[in-house]
Amino acid sequence: MSEKDERFSQAIKEILSGGFTRTILAVFLGFLVGAIFMIGSNKEFLESLGYFFSRPGDAFAAAWNVVSAGYGALIKGAIYNADADTLEKALRPITETLRLGAPLIAAGLGIGLAFRVGLFNIGGTGQLIFGMIFATWIATRVELPFVIHTIVAMAAGILGATLLGALVGYLKARTGAHEVILTIMLNYIALSFFTFLMRDPNLLQASDSVGNPKADPPAETAMLGKLFGDAYALHWGLVISLAAVILYWWLMERSTIGFRLRMVGFNPDAAKTAGISVNRTYIIAMGLSAAFVGVAAGNQALGVDIGVSPSTHANIGFDAITVALLGGSSAPGILLAGLLFGAFKAGAPSMQVIGISPEVLGIVQGAIVLFIAAPPLIRAIFRLPKPQTTNALGAISAKLFRKGGAK
Amino acid sequence: MKLKNASAAFALLGASALVLTGCAAAPEAEPTASETETSAAPTLDYLACAVSDEGSWNDKSFNESVYDGLMKAQTELGVQVAEAESNSAEDFAPNLQAMVDQACDITFAVGFNLVADVNAAAAANPEVQFVTIDGWSEGNANLKPVTYAMNQSSYLAGYLAAAYSTTKVVGTYGGLQIPAVTDFMDGFYYGAMAYAAETGTDVKVVGWDAKAQAGQFIGNFTPNSGESKAIAAALINDGADVIFPVGGDQFGAVSEAIKEAGVEAVMIGVDKDIALTSPEYASMVLTSAEKRMTNAVYDIIADLSAGGTFSGDAYVGTLANGGTGLSPLYEFESKVSDEVKARLAELEAGIISGEIDPLK
Repeated sequence: MSEKDERFSQAIKEILSGGFTRTILAVFLGFLVGAIFMIGSNKEFLESLGYFFSRPGDAFAAAWNVVSAGYGALIKGAIYNADADTLEKALRPITETLRLGAPLIAAGLGIGLAFRVGLFNIGGTGQLIFGMIFATWIATRVELPFVIHTIVAMAAGILGATLLGALVGYLKARTGAHEVILTIMLNYIALSFFTFLMRDPNLLQASDSVGNPKADPPAETAMLGKLFGDAYALHWGLVISLAAVILYWWLMERSTIGFRLRMVGFNPDAAKTAGISVNRTYIIAMGLSAAFVGVAAGNQALGVDIGVSPSTHANIGFDAITVALLGGSSAPGILLAGLLFGAFKAGAPSMQVIGISPEVLGIVQGAIVLFIAAPPLIRAIFRLPKPQTTNALGAISAKLFRKGGAK
Repeated sequence: MKLKNASAAFALLGASALVLTGCAAAPEAEPTASETETSAAPTLDYLACAVSDEGSWNDKSFNESVYDGLMKAQTELGVQVAEAESNSAEDFAPNLQAMVDQACDITFAVGFNLVADVNAAAAANPEVQFVTIDGWSEGNANLKPVTYAMNQSSYLAGYLAAAYSTTKVVGTYGGLQIPAVTDFMDGFYYGAMAYAAETGTDVKVVGWDAKAQAGQFIGNFTPNSGESKAIAAALINDGADVIFPVGGDQFGAVSEAIKEAGVEAVMIGVDKDIALTSPEYASMVLTSAEKRMTNAVYDIIADLSAGGTFSGDAYVGTLANGGTGLSPLYEFESKVSDEVKARLAELEAGIISGEIDPLK
């Protein structure tokens, strides 16, 4: 075997042992686990098991039917509806995926940022709610012209979330309290505070809500505009989330702040020795983490025209943890993971309609995270090589890049 | 090696389970002619759909009532059904959209909370027929509101509660302060007051003041939450020995509060005949103010699937049309005097004829 071949096979090994391959396989296994649950809860399949040996074909056919119907409905609800009578309607599912994925991406970036600094931000829900409070107040109680109103309301949402996040960072830096406890407890405080505000018409409650804890819909001037006309619910929140992805990438990979954040994440003691104020970095990190969650808050508060209520946070704060884990806390990873989970949300109703519990998707999500969190398990199942310490892949790509260059 | 042994053992176990359970003979592929005649349910090419409010279909309350109607229509009429549960307010619009995409012939939107979304869906899809339960139509001809004059049966419940009570203190509280809930509580309040005025006894209603429209609310419809139990305990502490919790399935919370207080108190069910549907509470359920949505849902599907024309006119369930009413007393039959029973019948006739206003 020549030296070149060896280097090539080494590069393949690196790809197979790398995080990307593992993530794809984890997603695949997650869907497999979901399929098992769908089959196991299917009546036709269970009935056909009773006479498995006289006619095994029935069991396999039932299993295949339920899985293909289930995931077929997911595709129909999340990507393309082939049964629709017009192209406009057929394309609606994919726009729904983008719409529901946008806040997951933004919040996922926030949680991912904290992960990179070695912090666990479990307070996405609380920060999202605080952002919604600020954004809703501007959107319903202040009069401003078009566009400016949206921008101010969005900025207020980001500010509100940032304040709550920075408070956690401050308390951690000042008192040493653990951020997991702080963020979890602040979730409850934020939710109850939000409900309190929506119970008083002088605060945030809608005038016509007759006692229901519900806010006015955002003023027309403050709403995020529709991207492709009224036929689709998709709005500018997607564009803002995509901008957040680019900002996140620049911040973490190119900026000085990002360098400091990552350094504290790798080794706080070394960072301290190098002259970085770890405490200040914690405050900045939690504030920035919450700021990205605030983008999701603006998206939730300004994206729909039916006023926010205590359940408008839609569990995005927790789903974002899964998104950040699946995306490996990297900008492109979180983008893809957010879209995947957005597709789950968009496809759930279609699955429900054909009688498959959408909880299966929750199982898929959970299973994916489990497999992501257990790299040796994935390697054992697929007999992947151990993590490689060589850099053959880097060398090859560097060589290709040089060859393709102007030289 | 050890691991291999373990997995082999599991495989053996699984295989033997299969052998043991899988030996039955396969059913005949083609049923005989006589079988098809008797066993096959009638099938209709009609798709009836429903979207739940926050909470699941088996909430022992209004979601479940609608679901039962849907299931009844499926088994008795042979219509096709599809349903979707909503976990949060964010699910309402996508769930309704899924029903439109599924080409449902009629879609029931269950609950006051869906009123904005179902009106939007009805306006966007004028050719699709919708029904809103506990909601209203904002000028959409393809949206039929189904509502209930719950104050009528609750008035009777309030009168009965005041008559049954030994402390002459009765209590009620709600899930959320919304019309669909306070309608029960208003009727209950005025019913109890009617007993007080008639007999000259001093009756106190705790937990709700219909004149000031202020009272105790859990803040959500979470079944049997800690808040719910705390409110029930506070009402018992105020001397109430009949409790009317208007917030879905709160009967576990109330019965716990009663047992912990160690008093002889009872509760009045809402929406369904609780003594019948939850027999574990039967010994503590005096009666129930039923909101018979199961019948309304079934009747609407039966009418439309048989070729009836859809109308956007509201259906209002009353004592007169049997849409609402009190459940039988069961175990409490002997503990309520004949005079009270006779008077309840008179009151019912009075409300039906319009002589008695249950909101006064």
